Amino acid sequence: MKSHVAWLKRAGIAGLLSIVVSGCSDNNSSFSISDRTRSLIPEAQTGVSEAPGVVKLLDEKFGDPQTLKAWSKLPVQWGGASAKVEVFAADGADAKVKFVAGEGQTFPEKATFVNVVTGAGAGRTLQLSSWDAATGEAVLTGLGGATLAAGDTCSIDGGAVIQSGRVLYMRHCSHCHGTAGDGNGPTAQYLYPRPRDYRHGVFKFTSTNDMSKVSREDLLRVLRYGIPGTYMPSFLLMKDEELTAIVEYVRFLSMRGEFERKLVNELASDYSEEAVESRLKDEQRADIVGELAKFLAEDVPGVVDGIGAELEESWVAADSDEAKIVPSVPRVPDSEESRRRGRELYLSKTLNCADCHGIDGAGNGPQTVAFEKNPITNVPYDEPGLHDVWDNLNQPRNLHTGIFRGGRRPIDLFCRIHAGIKGSRMPSFKNTPHEDIWHIVNYVLSIPFEPEPGATGVASAPAAPATEAAAPAAGE
Amino acid sequence: MKKFWALFFWFWPLVALYVCLIAPGNNWWFPSKPLSTMGHQIDGLFYLILIIVTVTFVGTEFALGYALWMGATKEPGRRAWFSHGSHKLEVVWTIVPAFVLVFISLTQLDVLADIRVLARFPESVKEAPVAEVMARQFEWRIRYPKPGTELMTSPQPGDLYFVNEVHVPATVPTMINLRTQDVQHAFFVPRLRVKQDAVPGLIIPVWFEIEEAGEYELLCAELCGWGHYKMKARIIADSPEGVSAYLTRLEREQNEDGVQEAETASVK
Repeated sequence: MKSHVAWLKRAGIAGLLSIVVSGCSDNNSSFSISDRTRSLIPEAQTGVSEAPGVVKLLDEKFGDPQTLKAWSKLPVQWGGASAKVEVFAADGADAKVKFVAGEGQTFPEKATFVNVVTGAGAGRTLQLSSWDAATGEAVLTGLGGATLAAGDTCSIDGGAVIQSGRVLYMRHCSHCHGTAGDGNGPTAQYLYPRPRDYRHGVFKFTSTNDMSKVSREDLLRVLRYGIPGTYMPSFLLMKDEELTAIVEYVRFLSMRGEFERKLVNELASDYSEEAVESRLKDEQRADIVGELAKFLAEDVPGVVDGIGAELEESWVAADSDEAKIVPSVPRVPDSEESRRRGRELYLSKTLNCADCHGIDGAGNGPQTVAFEKNPITNVPYDEPGLHDVWDNLNQPRNLHTGIFRGGRRPIDLFCRIHAGIKGSRMPSFKNTPHEDIWHIVNYVLSIPFEPEPGATGVASAPAAPATEAAAPAAGE
Repeated sequence: MKKFWALFFWFWPLVALYVCLIAPGNNWWFPSKPLSTMGHQIDGLFYLILIIVTVTFVGTEFALGYALWMGATKEPGRRAWFSHGSHKLEVVWTIVPAFVLVFISLTQLDVLADIRVLARFPESVKEAPVAEVMARQFEWRIRYPKPGTELMTSPQPGDLYFVNEVHVPATVPTMINLRTQDVQHAFFVPRLRVKQDAVPGLIIPVWFEIEEAGEYELLCAELCGWGHYKMKARIIADSPEGVSAYLTRLEREQNEDGVQEAETASVK
């Protein structure tokens, strides 16, 4: 009996010690693979002999959270700058070096390390003990036998931004949005609405055209001010460089998710478990795998380059001036007449806002009780109502609450109507004259203050619009 | 060895006394000097209690040491004095702490009333909250009345909104309306010594007079959920002119229509 107790004690102490030494769990995290990737046959996921599959390609281009990889094609500000060595003077274990910034590059203000890209020391990471961004002069320490020669390419503080973005993201964002940005972190299940899944590369509240992606400025705005009416809180108190680093990391995760989706799209029709099962009726599995191997080896490299080019183009375009919505006319001054006009447009057959938002704007239009089909699988949803691209039930907004998720500035509402809400069933009304959009904005902004739902008159035109127009923005 | 324990228990009250005496000068108890008018009174109450507690602690420790010392140096054969059940002693150590507690509760009544009782708020703020601070998981949403109008309990057209940053005037009494949208939170500004729970369904007026312009940390001090730790905001205390300039700026930003902005940019 006594020996048992002693044994238990020893085991307990050993267990505690092992926890202290190693921590409670494995600290390594990984980017999760999407369900659609999992629906492919195993060979398409992992690859056939030499030819890489989806998982391998993802790892090759994006790495895992511990060792991120920078696919230089992607328009992400990885941080740091590439530079060439101009002067190298070894001094014992230290060396004085002068760098020249690569074409179109500017040196980061602060830098702590240098990655050697070409030359004798290629692959080494060297520490900087001093760094002058203005002149490019630096002191390297702990050379350990490495030498550089003039003309060698180095990367100064390479990836510093994306790495600090990763650290901040893991601390502040990943518990809802998930390590891979799949909107499925540990706290996500408690939230309604669900946190955004970035992997579609789609963000709802943008100031860009309906076909454009989200701009950096839009993401920054959401981080700063949060999304009222949801669980997305404001991170206003974080420093600007922290927020921009998070934005870059979120863009990186979005591009990773999009890359995965697009790659799987290329493979799904022929090599998903389902497709292969039906093909087996008149083909041999070995033949299908052989065909897959050929496709992966010969065609997929081109497909990957193509997807990279698409990502580059679309994400660069999102930050361009052309993508930004600028109304052609200033806001029509708010007046009873303008609101009335807005309500007319709201109820009109062409815009048909009431079909989803309801006659009085309570978010209870006929579409909310209709059954929809999933556009990809063509299977009807279990519950009635509209669904977004994330397959979540997508309630049309009740316009009486006075909560505007994408912001309450007139320009925010203008963008919601002009570009629609991306990923949701709110369509773009970009062909509507801007003046009419402003009338609707004025009407929508007034709905929370209506004395009773639908009180803004339609049929009876005002007798004296001149005095009405002079009325200020405040209540009726 | 027996004497060691007596000396040991006499040593600690001396340390406590020393710490108690030098602590206020070194600012060991508080994050900073109090920066609101109310803060001085609250710190005063704290130090009063600190003195009472120190005197009690030192007294009981000395008594303990004394008992140990007498035990250690007793003549052989002397018998202990049996005090258990002494009616007189029981009465004394019931009445003395009772008096101390009544004294404390009477002393703090005024301060408490100044903080909590609307009727005793400064006249200038009683009817004029500058903003509504709405706590929600896990941020602070601020609503200011349209410049030139009064704050209403329900949102009004023209109200100005912001998040996690409250601008209030310094050096004049200021009142905000504290609310919560979901669970209980607490409005805690350590450097102002202001702490008030936000209770669902209630609009709780909170007033303070900030003595120095500057930035103050606003924290949630009521465990409100998994994101409690990140529920942080800042209070910017500015001159009244600075605050109204800020509100004008905020009003312009909130009425942004995307065209004026582009126009002003092209003028530059």
